[in-house]
Amino acid sequence: MKSRFKTGIVAAVAAAGLLLSGCGPAATGAGGETLTFMFRGGADEKAAYTKAIGEFEKANDVKVNMIVTTPDDYSTKLKAAIAGKKVPDVFYVDPGSVQAYVKTGVVKNISEFVEGSDSIDLDNIWQYGVDSYRFDGKLMGQGDIYALPKDVGPFSFGYNKTMFDEAGIPLPSADTPYTFDEFVDVAKKLTKDTNADGKLDQWGTGLNVQWNLQPFVWSNGADWLNQDRSKVTVDTPEFAESLQWFADLQNVAKVTPSVGEAQTLDTYQRWMQGQIGFFPVGPWDVSTYEKLPFEWDLIPYPAGSTGKSATWTGTLGIAVSNSSKAPEKAVELAKFLSANETAQQSLVDAGVQIPNLIDMSDQWVKDSTTKPANKQEFLDIVKDYGRGLPANSTYSAEWYDELFKNIQPVLDGKKTAAQYLKEAQPKMQKYLDQANQAAGIG
Amino acid sequence: MSTITRRSTLHRKEQRVALIFVALPVIGFAVFTIFPLLFSVYASFTEWNGISAPVFTGLANFQAMMVDPYFWQAMWNTLFLMIGIPIGLSLSLLLALALNRKMRGTTFFRTVYYVPVISSIAAVAILWQWAFNGDFGLINQALAMIGIDGPNWLANTATVKPAIIIMSVWKGMGYSMLLYLAALQSVPRHLYEAASLDGAGVLQQFRNVTLPMLRPVTFFLVVTSIIGGSQIFIEINIMTPGGGPEFASASIVWYIWQKAFNYLQMGYATSMSLVLGLIVFAVTAIQFRLNRRNQFSID
Repeated sequence: MKSRFKTGIVAAVAAAGLLLSGCGPAATGAGGETLTFMFRGGADEKAAYTKAIGEFEKANDVKVNMIVTTPDDYSTKLKAAIAGKKVPDVFYVDPGSVQAYVKTGVVKNISEFVEGSDSIDLDNIWQYGVDSYRFDGKLMGQGDIYALPKDVGPFSFGYNKTMFDEAGIPLPSADTPYTFDEFVDVAKKLTKDTNADGKLDQWGTGLNVQWNLQPFVWSNGADWLNQDRSKVTVDTPEFAESLQWFADLQNVAKVTPSVGEAQTLDTYQRWMQGQIGFFPVGPWDVSTYEKLPFEWDLIPYPAGSTGKSATWTGTLGIAVSNSSKAPEKAVELAKFLSANETAQQSLVDAGVQIPNLIDMSDQWVKDSTTKPANKQEFLDIVKDYGRGLPANSTYSAEWYDELFKNIQPVLDGKKTAAQYLKEAQPKMQKYLDQANQAAGIG
Repeated sequence: MSTITRRSTLHRKEQRVALIFVALPVIGFAVFTIFPLLFSVYASFTEWNGISAPVFTGLANFQAMMVDPYFWQAMWNTLFLMIGIPIGLSLSLLLALALNRKMRGTTFFRTVYYVPVISSIAAVAILWQWAFNGDFGLINQALAMIGIDGPNWLANTATVKPAIIIMSVWKGMGYSMLLYLAALQSVPRHLYEAASLDGAGVLQQFRNVTLPMLRPVTFFLVVTSIIGGSQIFIEINIMTPGGGPEFASASIVWYIWQKAFNYLQMGYATSMSLVLGLIVFAVTAIQFRLNRRNQFSID
């Protein structure tokens, strides 16, 4: 009898446990509050943040749980957390998600906490970085602040100095960008068969359309969207001209590895083996490129008809949840992660980003012991000529991805850029209209 | 009288305990299966971004689906990739026949063919991505040895689907082979004896004894492969992250996932999942009907 009673209890408890599991509130640490911080990244980020967060915990009498994911898992995991009403107190957002999270009330408006605050000096953080997370309810880049930059990532252009020296070609200028024609001329000189086996084994360049088209489109005076991002403007002659020029690098000028060899992975590896003259360089590449067996440096991107170099600057932000139980502490943590010198120094030393703090960059840029020599180019991009990726300003990136989905025939020279863009524009416009409508700001 | 009362009290108590035990899986089923199922039916009639509350929009998602070229292409791609199923089944039956003979090293080979099955699909997909690389890939290096200039498999609209089919056949072969082996060994010997006494040759024995006896396993494999094949995702997402050249390898589940998690269209994605679920259900029901019609018994 007794044992039967027991089994009954066990079953009842198990049934109750089944119902309750997953609904319990997170336990808080004894005494202080507990914050969760969710971010993505590798060992470098984790090490840098673990150290910095230790300091923060001590200074603020609070416990911080770190949840780190791989870059691929991050977005799915965050969305699951949001859907499960367990939004981390502090977490990464990219500019492209800000509108959606603001509209759905997931992220907190932190303007009042950071503007004119004692614990963070916004004037000492790159304006581009802060502005990337401003949203006024209609347009990005202005209005209230919804996140602080974790980093800014200027996507610069590098060249293989050793290859230039061997070919006896004058080095490119760090101040005046090449014109499109000059760039092709130099790239042609670099493209050759170095061991006389009848096969090319050195090329001028080898670029991925998805990440490298923007600099050439923008410097040619074209853009993806109009000012109030209501219209897709890829069907302009300037846009077509730059895309055609990009495709012609491979098909007409023949200064890149051939179609069959053109996957990014391959040109990336070829660059690292010293077979490619010009290749993009982001701050996150520096730790890898430092070990390359050749000399390299940064230059401005070749410029189209405007004569002015252009490129994009990536960024990730640190946002605070609207449902945080300890909002003030959470905002302090976001500020701390964005602007703490220890954390920044450790990330910079790891070679994965440039300093977030302007005064720290002024020191960093003068350091001639580390590569690249022309660090100023990174800063110029952040300060002067870098822009956000086109999809950053919209509710969803579907319209933007559409351009690249069917672009292969243009790159293969089977379709002209002008014709392709004419076909793509209405499709992209449709997706953009949908996104603007979903954002409620059509 | 008193015994009856006592028994019924005991009976009632036991029944209560039994009910609690029964309640466990029933509650689990209701909470984790029935509720999400019903909710997803509702969600498919809404515009929903996955974060805020869904807004009812009637049939709008289904109308959009009808004219969404990527939906149809993803459906077609998924169907095309199922060519791998008959290929895989025939190959694994051949393998099973070969490994069913009494010869040295069968255990070794059985293990070798089963290794891909227990390997992580994500790791395997990355390895095959390298193998299919246009320049340095193992496959093209092997082809180069016999004088064939291999294509850039995963970057070419014509070869990306075959490449994925090759990979999934390789990955799934060991599993079907194992089931076929077990089935082959349970075919009663006396059937073969009787057949050979009646003068049936090897081929006739295969056609009239082996194949019919394997029918239940084949049926099981076809049904599960079609269900699994209609949900192919990981291979696609790892080997061709953007859905392949010109969307040539995007499967329907991949497209659903992209819509739901990258483009915040959870409502539309749910309605596509519902359609996919109904199709799989219908196909499986048809298969069961066909199978019943062809059933026979040896008793």
